[in-house]
Amino acid sequence: MEEKRIGVYVCWCGTNIAAMVDVEKVASGLKELPDIVVSKDYKYMCSDPGQDMIIQDIKNHNLNRIVVAACSPRMHEITFRKALENAGLNPYMFEMANIREHDSWVHTNRAEATRKARDLIAGAVSKVKWHESLEKRSVPVNPATLIIGGGIAGISAALELANAGKQVYLIERKALLGGTVSALDLTSPFLNSARQMIDHKIKEVMDHRLIKVYLNSEVEQIFGYVGNFETTIRYNKRETRLNFGNVIVATGLKPFDASRVTNYGYGRLPNVITALEFEQVLKDGVILTRDGREPKNVAIIHCVGSRNEDYNPYCSRTCCMVALKFVNQLKSALPKATIIDIYSDMRSFGKGCEELYSDTSKKNVMFLTFDHKADLPQIRQASYDDPCNLIIEFKEKFSGEPIEVPADMVILMVGMEAHENAKQVAHGVGISMCGNRFFIERHPKLDPVATTTDGVYVVGTCQSPKDIPDSVSQARAAAARILATILAGSVSIEVTTAEVNEKICCGCQTCIKVCPYSAISYSQEKKVSAVNEIICKGCGTCGSTCPTGAIKSKHFTDIQILSQIEGLMSLQEVY
Amino acid sequence: MSQRVNLDLKKELFLYGAKEWNQCFQCGNCTATCHTTENGFFFPRKTVRQVLMGLKKSLQTNIDPWLCTYCGDCSRTCPRDANPAEMMMSIRRYLISVYDWTGISKLFYKSKTLEVTSIIVLSIIVMVLYLIYTTFPSGDSSQWIGPDGGALINKMAPWQTIHLGDWLMAGALVFLVITNIFYMWYKIIYDDKSLKVGFIDYLKPFSKLVKLINPDVKYAKCDEKKLTTYWVLHAFLALSYGTLFAIIVFFLDWFQTDTVYPFLHPQRILGYIATIGLTVGIIYFYTNRTLKNMENSKYSHFTDWTFLILLFFTTLTGILLHVFRIYGLPQLTYVTYMLHLMVLVPMLVIEVPFSKWSHMIYRPFALYFAHLKKMVIEKSKTIPHQPQYN
Ligand SMILES: Cc1cc2nc3c(=O)[nH]c(=O)nc-3n(C[C@H](O)[C@H](O)[C@H](O)COP(=O)(O)OP(=O)(O)OC[C@H]3O[C@@H](n4cnc5c(N)ncnc54)[C@H](O)[C@@H]3O)c2cc1C
Ligand code: SF4
Ligand code: SF4
Ligand code: SF4
Ligand code: SF4
Ligand code: SF4
Repeated sequence: MEEKRIGVYVCWCGTNIAAMVDVEKVASGLKELPDIVVSKDYKYMCSDPGQDMIIQDIKNHNLNRIVVAACSPRMHEITFRKALENAGLNPYMFEMANIREHDSWVHTNRAEATRKARDLIAGAVSKVKWHESLEKRSVPVNPATLIIGGGIAGISAALELANAGKQVYLIERKALLGGTVSALDLTSPFLNSARQMIDHKIKEVMDHRLIKVYLNSEVEQIFGYVGNFETTIRYNKRETRLNFGNVIVATGLKPFDASRVTNYGYGRLPNVITALEFEQVLKDGVILTRDGREPKNVAIIHCVGSRNEDYNPYCSRTCCMVALKFVNQLKSALPKATIIDIYSDMRSFGKGCEELYSDTSKKNVMFLTFDHKADLPQIRQASYDDPCNLIIEFKEKFSGEPIEVPADMVILMVGMEAHENAKQVAHGVGISMCGNRFFIERHPKLDPVATTTDGVYVVGTCQSPKDIPDSVSQARAAAARILATILAGSVSIEVTTAEVNEKICCGCQTCIKVCPYSAISYSQEKKVSAVNEIICKGCGTCGSTCPTGAIKSKHFTDIQILSQIEGLMSLQEVY
Repeated sequence: MSQRVNLDLKKELFLYGAKEWNQCFQCGNCTATCHTTENGFFFPRKTVRQVLMGLKKSLQTNIDPWLCTYCGDCSRTCPRDANPAEMMMSIRRYLISVYDWTGISKLFYKSKTLEVTSIIVLSIIVMVLYLIYTTFPSGDSSQWIGPDGGALINKMAPWQTIHLGDWLMAGALVFLVITNIFYMWYKIIYDDKSLKVGFIDYLKPFSKLVKLINPDVKYAKCDEKKLTTYWVLHAFLALSYGTLFAIIVFFLDWFQTDTVYPFLHPQRILGYIATIGLTVGIIYFYTNRTLKNMENSKYSHFTDWTFLILLFFTTLTGILLHVFRIYGLPQLTYVTYMLHLMVLVPMLVIEVPFSKWSHMIYRPFALYFAHLKKMVIEKSKTIPHQPQYN
């Protein structure tokens, strides 16, 4: 066995660690241990000087194993691995001891915390001795992309990719492309025509030689891994097999079912309609009540099905501005009518939105407020002697007054929900959903379009309620991400995977049942299991389940884990 | 009980000077900045809300607009430019028409033409009556001309005759004003079933009288520093006006004499001081309204101008009358006297009960009612000093 020359670096993390752990004592104490060539402490190990120190030490002292005792590996493992690489060492000859989250942040006794730091480092030192060099691998990327959902988000992504010369398969379960935007008249906040916008885009997609549109079809299950996916869809009653390197999920929104809020009498009172139905009224060009009269006063109620624990706790984000759009359209269509906007909070973030609110609030509109959590308005049919169709009764929030508002027509600003079949879609492409059944992105801030499954992206309203500009930006961002992978030609894949030792494997196939990524398959001829290392994420489940010990989880081998435990326990006597 | 919203209230207020001020989002900044805010009065936020919500009944019984001193702090600092101060003024005009049971006020506010026509018609009536009941100082009839060559006014238009007219007019005005105040009381105090007002309660606000009539103390808390000048000139104008009004109605025989007294005679001194008060006031308010240099002069309803113009012409004809009289120009004196009456009478008859002028009466009464209300509410409270939320 080669000589182990280990360098240990204890980080202060400013005062984050140093305040609770005697870092200097720990570092100097470790020098006594066998195989440790250098042991140092430093204020910020992750800083450039900190990393440079490690690199210089590797070169000067010929180190071949490095342990950094600092924060969580989630934070800086990659940073230090890169430093090792820069110094010419295999990046996997590295181990991190977490003495911040696991130690200084959670303890109050300095002596004990210091001892714990020492033990954690000793464990890491024992483990790193058994580390092996691992080589990064990559697989080629299929340049085609599958897009599920032909709304504005799916369409935008498709055009972006196809215009860059890449093949796109666009799957739409309805008979037409366009999604919700096709159902709109004008769009907030600038009141431009939805039809002009979407018709033009749909035509572009249909005519594009690199976009193959599959209408009336759905995707059930996708197989494969980033760069090399495949699926079979039913199109025109025929099974069609598609191969592609990336997936964009753009399945969009489902409007909230207004009849669930019984207060509003939707379905029972004919002149209570949803925002989507009102879009159709606007498209038809004449605003009339169900009995064919021009409404004298029109009320709009916000947050229908949103921001209320009985329905959906979240804000649907667009309906406030859509309501103001309606107000403006109503004002020009029915100049004499009174418009009553009953809202809870006016959410007007985003370009042009506060301006729209500001302009609209200067027009003759009656803005009333209600409590979206407790006191939802109650709508009832007006009596014969009332000069209106409907009466909306509620406690006005700003004034605290119980009031009755006469109205001839009420528009319900229904929120956005995920589709009923969101779960099947999530399962089919291997992504997860949040509690509100929207698809989850990889990181809410730093990686808002990718998912935890490499090669699968979520865009538009299936990821969270949003307006058209946000849907489009997300779609184009995903397309750009995909183009970047295609341009790279290959994607690097997980190195710390599982590996079956065919000589020991008994073919029981236990591992196949437990693998959450379906990465293991059974070979009939050899009568043993084999891990597809491109799909394997290195979760270790199979390794711990295999009854014969045939599976080795690279970088977390039995000997590495056992040594780490040994190291952890070894120093009781020394101090 | 839920109150039915009146969808046209806001439009109705347009007649009284309000505009499309819908921006208010009830932040409460105006309440915080307003120097008249006290526990229980959400000044002027609550009132603005009543207008925007169409709570007609609440608005008609609302007393708050009368408490506003129009310092303008709220409008100046309103983050939405919702003009709460001018809204208060518009509501005042509205309330004047609400209190006026005859409904004439409303007609005047509604129509500029009607107001102007009424003024003209009234002027003509005055002219006709004047021509019938007075006599022209013709050259040959020496009895019209005094030793100094000027008109003997009491020969021309005997103070007894004028007095009679004065009294008739004052009687009508007092009747209208009293009945309107009664109606105001009915709406604000009597109709509010939650208030239990005993006889003794009506005496209590007098203990606070000194504080009530001294807005200057309150202006001290306002941002606008020009307000002190404003208040002094406003008070001077009102005092001058009041003095002349009292003199004409009660002491015309002392004021309208055939003898021209020496310059320093109390009759002349008093007349001059009051005239200065009116002139300075008119110039000041005219400049303010044209330059719009203060929050309270940014918006002018046509009734504000009518009042100012009538006052101007009354003062001008008054001054000319005096000059012509002193410098012995009997014919001109006769004509000017007529012109003076022709503006003075419409000003009193139209402005006092039905328009701008009436704030001089409503405001003190409103202050009185507001304090009465507050004291009664406080008395009936089991937990002291808890603010009222509606
Ligand atoms: C009433 C209303 C008014 C609005 N007004 C405006 C506005 O004025 N301005 C604005 O910016 N935004 C507005 N929006 C929001 C706007 O509609 C959305 O931001 C936009 O439609 C989102 O596009 P999308 O592609 O994500 O979803 P969608 O438009 O919903 O498209 C999704 C598409 O995917 C298809 N699909 C779903 N599931 C599957 C599946 N399993 N397989 C295959 N295909 C599937 C659907 O059939 C649909 O065609 C409004 C929304 C509503 C409800
Ligand atoms: S955007 Fe407005 S209407 Fe829609 S849920 Fe949010 S607050 Fe309610
Ligand atoms: S669990 Fe172990 S022995 Fe069984 S098939 Fe898998 S690798 Fe082979
Ligand atoms: S390590 Fe996890 S992902 Fe990889 S084969 Fe084993 S169980 Fe499957
Ligand atoms: S009037 Fe202006 S300051 Fe007053 S509550 Fe409304 S927005 Fe706020
Ligand atoms: S103008 Fe002055 S007194 Fe009147 S409401 Fe505004 S802040 Fe109060």
